[in-house]
Amino acid sequence: MIGSRSAGVLGALLLGALLCVALAGDRLAGQRFDAQDAAHALEPPSRAHWLGTDALGRDQLARIAEGARVSLLVAVGATALALAIGLCYGGIAGWLGGRVDGAMMRVVDVVYALPDVLVIVLLIEVLQVTLAGVPDIARRVAALVAALGFVGWVGVARLVRALVLQAREETWVESARALGLRNRRILVRHVLPNIAGPVLVAAAFQIPAAILAESTLSFIGLGIQPPFSSWGTLASDGFEAMRSYPHLILFPCLAILLALLGFHLLGEALRARLDPRRRA
Amino acid sequence: MIRWLAGRVLVFVPVLWVVATLTFALLRFLPGGPFDREKTLPPEILRNLERRYALDGTLAEQYADYLGRLARFDLGPSYKYVGRDVSDILADALPVSVQLGLLALAIALGGGVALGLAAGARRGSGIDRGVGLATLVGVSAPSFVIGAGLILGVALGLDWLPAGLWESPAFAVLPALTLAALPLAYIAQLTRAQVAAVMDQDYVRTARAKGVPEGRVRRHHVLRNALLAVLTYFGPLLAMLLTGSFVVEKIYAIPGMGRFFVTAVTNRDYPLVLGVTLVYAALVLVANLLVDLLYAWLDPRIRVAPDRR
Amino acid sequence: MTTLGFASLRATLARRLPAPPRTAADGADVSTSLGGASLLVVGVCCAVVLAGCGRESMRAAPRELRINLETEPPSLDWSLATDGVSIIAIQQLMRGLTRLGRALRAEPDLAERWWVSSDGLTYTFVLRPGVVWSDGAPLRAQQFVDGWLRLLAPETAAEYAYFLFPVKNARAFNSGQLADPAQVGVRARDDATLEVELEAPLVYFPALVSFMVTFPQRRELIARHGERWTEPPNLVTLGPFVLEEWRHEYRLVMRANERYWAGRPTLDRITAYMIEEDSTALVLFEQGLLDLVRLPPLEIRRYATRPEYVRQPLLRGYYYGFDVQEPPFDDVRVRRAFALAIDRSVFPGLLQGGELPWPSWIPPGMPHANAQLGLGFDPERARSLLREAGVDPAALPPVRIVFNSDQTHKLVAEKVQALWREHLGVRVELENREWKVFLKEVAGDPPAVFRLGWGADFPDPDNFMNLFTSYSENNHTRWANPHYDALVERAARAPDPAERQRLYDEAQAILCEQDVPIVPLFVAASNFALAGRVRGFVPSAMDQYFFDEVSAE
Repeated sequence: MIGSRSAGVLGALLLGALLCVALAGDRLAGQRFDAQDAAHALEPPSRAHWLGTDALGRDQLARIAEGARVSLLVAVGATALALAIGLCYGGIAGWLGGRVDGAMMRVVDVVYALPDVLVIVLLIEVLQVTLAGVPDIARRVAALVAALGFVGWVGVARLVRALVLQAREETWVESARALGLRNRRILVRHVLPNIAGPVLVAAAFQIPAAILAESTLSFIGLGIQPPFSSWGTLASDGFEAMRSYPHLILFPCLAILLALLGFHLLGEALRARLDPRRRA
Repeated sequence: MIRWLAGRVLVFVPVLWVVATLTFALLRFLPGGPFDREKTLPPEILRNLERRYALDGTLAEQYADYLGRLARFDLGPSYKYVGRDVSDILADALPVSVQLGLLALAIALGGGVALGLAAGARRGSGIDRGVGLATLVGVSAPSFVIGAGLILGVALGLDWLPAGLWESPAFAVLPALTLAALPLAYIAQLTRAQVAAVMDQDYVRTARAKGVPEGRVRRHHVLRNALLAVLTYFGPLLAMLLTGSFVVEKIYAIPGMGRFFVTAVTNRDYPLVLGVTLVYAALVLVANLLVDLLYAWLDPRIRVAPDRR
Repeated sequence: MTTLGFASLRATLARRLPAPPRTAADGADVSTSLGGASLLVVGVCCAVVLAGCGRESMRAAPRELRINLETEPPSLDWSLATDGVSIIAIQQLMRGLTRLGRALRAEPDLAERWWVSSDGLTYTFVLRPGVVWSDGAPLRAQQFVDGWLRLLAPETAAEYAYFLFPVKNARAFNSGQLADPAQVGVRARDDATLEVELEAPLVYFPALVSFMVTFPQRRELIARHGERWTEPPNLVTLGPFVLEEWRHEYRLVMRANERYWAGRPTLDRITAYMIEEDSTALVLFEQGLLDLVRLPPLEIRRYATRPEYVRQPLLRGYYYGFDVQEPPFDDVRVRRAFALAIDRSVFPGLLQGGELPWPSWIPPGMPHANAQLGLGFDPERARSLLREAGVDPAALPPVRIVFNSDQTHKLVAEKVQALWREHLGVRVELENREWKVFLKEVAGDPPAVFRLGWGADFPDPDNFMNLFTSYSENNHTRWANPHYDALVERAARAPDPAERQRLYDEAQAILCEQDVPIVPLFVAASNFALAGRVRGFVPSAMDQYFFDEVSAE
């Protein structure tokens, strides 16, 4: 494989590009993502439309850029949520240990056994109903973030707990305790920085997983709805037209591929650097 | 051992109970029942409908009735497929999904382990790089990407295999390949990492130093530890197959549980949603149990360890 | 668990194993490379074998037809079904008194001959002798009576009940005013003679009884099987095909009825799949696995010049309906505004299927159609109407358009969404449903805006116009206008064409210009791809398909 340093750089470059695209949104293409132009429908890539147009004449580049925003927002939001909950939960369980830890982990076992897609789908339904007054896109994004976050915190909690448990046994913690430092101080100032590495690596892999999950959901019609686009809905539209207009599915798929590749490369590079095994 | 096994099996009940209760609560909470605000129906018909869908009585009575029926494996009538029970519907759909899933699993395991072994044994070579690149792309491509590629390339372009439906074994190939792609890539990566690590471990070197022939060294130690690592990963693998099956069954028009589930959610056919949820939860629990057993059998060090995960 | 938990698992795994000391990589190992090579050989063999298998199972058996229904038929019960998908299946399985022939005129089918009394009120049908059901039981006139009464019975809650309202006392019976079914104007004089009394003379009545809701039924079988009477093997029919298998959401198989009175059809078997993905169905067609598929709008351009292409203009209107009791559409000015903001000229280019923009309701090709009626495209007036109604588009909650899942409907909905946003400044949200569920929702609790189409059930404008009467169960707009009802009823009976034209013009003006419970958008055409091996397929303007005269090599 490519050396891990260059892999990491490549990953970072891809992600940097992704971030720029997402920040620019449809300004990148100079036209709105939902601007329909019947006269120029279903055109292959051209000067006016770099990635072609869809059945309603909407510029594909604009839609992919806009889709990048939505997909990234959902993925980062979900990961942040999962991390927040997982860190607290796992940290507390690991630190307190004993029976409390046992009970908390039983709860985790049960949640872990719930089939995640079903949880996601049901949560989306519930949130759709409860957030009735909010605009559709905000509702859907919130529902997806909450659902994906809820599904992700379990793994993080387990990881954090294992790390905290291990850290607790380290001699330097014992000596710190012997020195009279308060538990909370030890936890925050010494343990947390040590587990930050693996947790960061976990996050780096959670985000692409969330992008994957969201695009899958949108592809089967349970995620974002028109006229807003996420990469999943673009792929779904493209799939319908695949036979005659392959450019409509090619570019969204490429976008997903490159984004996920970027995250995986970066994640691998991070793991290589932050992996505690390498520490002296 | 027996006690541990019994303990694991006992986890089933609370988990299923939680799933059932959660979904029951959601069913009652969400709008869209079998006759939601339908036009003025004569009162006798309304009462009949309520009785049939077990929506009469207080909430507590409904819940008790619901749990009782579940214990008898009665998942109730579907809201949308008039005259058909959820159990009937799932009885048709479950075997299809299981066949597809098992085939995909076999491909992913076989292909992934083989690739991982080949790459791990030759670290730094062309094969290793090639496999590494391929798996990197494999984990970055959602199933609809692979599916679109296979349909356009193999079905349309080469005309080797059908682009959809479920008529004979040949129809299962493309869907299984599509479903297996992502897990295969992950397994290959995992196996490769394991093989590379394990190859260097002390006991392998010791075994070699003792003069044990090369082939046996590989087979006994490397393979087993690689498989162990893959088994640990089985939970996420199963979930991947599950999620992937929704997309695959949709694009290949396969009458499996995944497709019914998506349709049921869109249609707000909550008994069917619940039925699929419970079946999946049960499947996952059983699979995890089997994996734990396999794990214990493969690695004598870790038998009945209390807290592997 | 899941893809999301995978990451943490990997990290944990990495931590647990001891760090490997750095050593040089080992040389190639014989056993591994042998293993790898054998794996490769096995893999290639499998691929070749499977490729062969694949092609074999893909070859079609002669006299077998494979079509795509696209979605699960909501019901095969011909008293309850209302939609085009169910009708396709039902029409292969069952027949009625008459059948529409080439020029859309009524021809004898189960009825050998018929005559009408001099006052035009009583029809007598003589049934063809020797017709048997698929279980061997003979056809009897009483079975028509049973079927018609079941359609009209209030407990059946059949949406098409109004179809038989021309029959004496039918309406009273259906509304519950009349309790005794024996008073309804249909009776069996003997096993072979059916007598029908009408409320008023109806020239096209023989064409009316070609429609599925008038087909005979076996009362005792329905009583015995309850809701499952349409499942195989319970379903007993008398048409050219018999229902052999119904695997829900997947396929429906019909085989030739050896006992069919007109002789066994040429085809042995029809397999109707339910493939929702248009691109999958099309690829399957091109692979030779399907013989007849509807072409999605995006593919029409490419197929237009190919020999498999079949286009048939239809007597079928496509409209957007409002729930006139749901604000803001309870104000007629708002409805007119929304109608005026739609530019119909975009649809032909968008859909590419031969759609014809049509602002009034009776389609061209149907007698008494009128292209001059209806609201055109006038965004200025639309906006001023909204202002007049006191509606502020920015403050309005998002308007919901609900449609059933299909490429065409999605395109139209997205286009209308854009038009309303552009010309009115209104936010619009789209929701799609599966066909079966969509129908149920529209009938039970209609959304503010929904799309529907209507294809002619018989070739007379009354079929289109009586759809929106206040007593039509197929009218989902919750709009009722007694003046409109009266006009339509009079027009149905008026003997003079000029008078009919005048009455229909007035009624259409109410429907499409004044009250505007619906916005007609265009008239559709059907676009198919038909495999070369199929012969004898005759598309009809009524969107009806009869496969008994079709053959396939």
